[in-house]
Amino acid sequence: MSNIKETFNKIHAEEELKIKTKAFLAQKTDNYKKRRITFKYQTAAIMACLFLFVLSAGGLKLYFTPTSVISIDINPSVELGVNVFDRIISVKGYNDDGNELADLVNVKYTNYKYGLEELINSQTVTQCLSNNGSLSITVAGSNQKQCNDILTNAKDCTSGHQNAYCHMADYSQIENAHKCGLSVGKYMAYLELEALDSSITPEDISGMTMREIRDIINSYSSQNTYYQSDYCNESHQGHKNGHHDNR
Amino acid sequence: MRSEQEVNAAIERYSDTIKRLCMIHLKNYTDTEDIFQTVFLKYVLSSVCFENEEHEKAWFIRVTINACRDLIKSFFRSRTVSIDEILNLPYKLPPDNREILEAILSLPSKYKDVVYLHYYEGYTAVEIGKILRKNVNTVYTLLTRSRQMLKEKLGDIDYE
Repeated sequence: MSNIKETFNKIHAEEELKIKTKAFLAQKTDNYKKRRITFKYQTAAIMACLFLFVLSAGGLKLYFTPTSVISIDINPSVELGVNVFDRIISVKGYNDDGNELADLVNVKYTNYKYGLEELINSQTVTQCLSNNGSLSITVAGSNQKQCNDILTNAKDCTSGHQNAYCHMADYSQIENAHKCGLSVGKYMAYLELEALDSSITPEDISGMTMREIRDIINSYSSQNTYYQSDYCNESHQGHKNGHHDNR
Repeated sequence: MRSEQEVNAAIERYSDTIKRLCMIHLKNYTDTEDIFQTVFLKYVLSSVCFENEEHEKAWFIRVTINACRDLIKSFFRSRTVSIDEILNLPYKLPPDNREILEAILSLPSKYKDVVYLHYYEGYTAVEIGKILRKNVNTVYTLLTRSRQMLKEKLGDIDYE
């Protein structure tokens, strides 16, 4: 009787099966050229990934780099960092009331126009304004066109409020203001007051409301000598459109 | 990816082994074709460096058995034919061989591999354990039981 080995020895793969398999493999591997193609694709994929990475890293850096700051000071002192895409990327309070207001409003990553409206129309700010508070909106930044746009928008936003002032500050003052622990708006007021009274310090200013600062300045001089044309030009129209010049 | 020469040499070397494994697991030619394509495509794309020919052969056996099992388990697999049909395939087997093959094919699946690997390929229980990733004692048990089942069907035959 035949054994198992002999039985299996009689079974062989047909030539047709081998030929078909070879043809299938040649087709699947594009005639065994796949290594080169794969390598090309791999290189292209790596390059694409690198490009995307650099692009996204660059994009992220661009997105999270502030090009302008909007300082909103009344009693709360809040500073908004705005990127090149007009988005608010930071909301920082510069006093306790400012921190509270920054926590209260949810304006991060929104358009600055929306953020400004939200802050100006917030209960805290409207209450301060109704109590004869003095609202100062100061815009500073490296992108002059954007600063001008923000300033125009800020003027529109405050047109319905009395005792609200919008002005531009020099970009270089941002760093100095932060070194003193003040928002840009309050720092500008500090500089103005310091020109009239050299004994005043940033610490004195940080605890004062904008109304108090304005009152002191007004007591020294009825004419502002520091702020530039933006504010001055606006001040004449202030009474007509809601802006007052009684700083 | 392996070269065409390398792959063609492997087809010549291992086609018969794969065909025999397909024969004991599958029930038609189309499935065998599928397994050939699957196994050799895996080989083409595999980056495994074989230590020697024995290592390479064991790889082919393991991959083929796994591919057969996957195909059998496949939900969409509906192409089935009887043992008679298998035995009517192109090779004409003499009655004695046909009887042996029929007996092996009628064994439950888990016995077929060990019978083939031990009695035809000549692997020891330890080697079969490594190829099939089974415990050696399990392999011994499978061999003993399969021998008993074959004895019941075929009587005393020369296994070697």
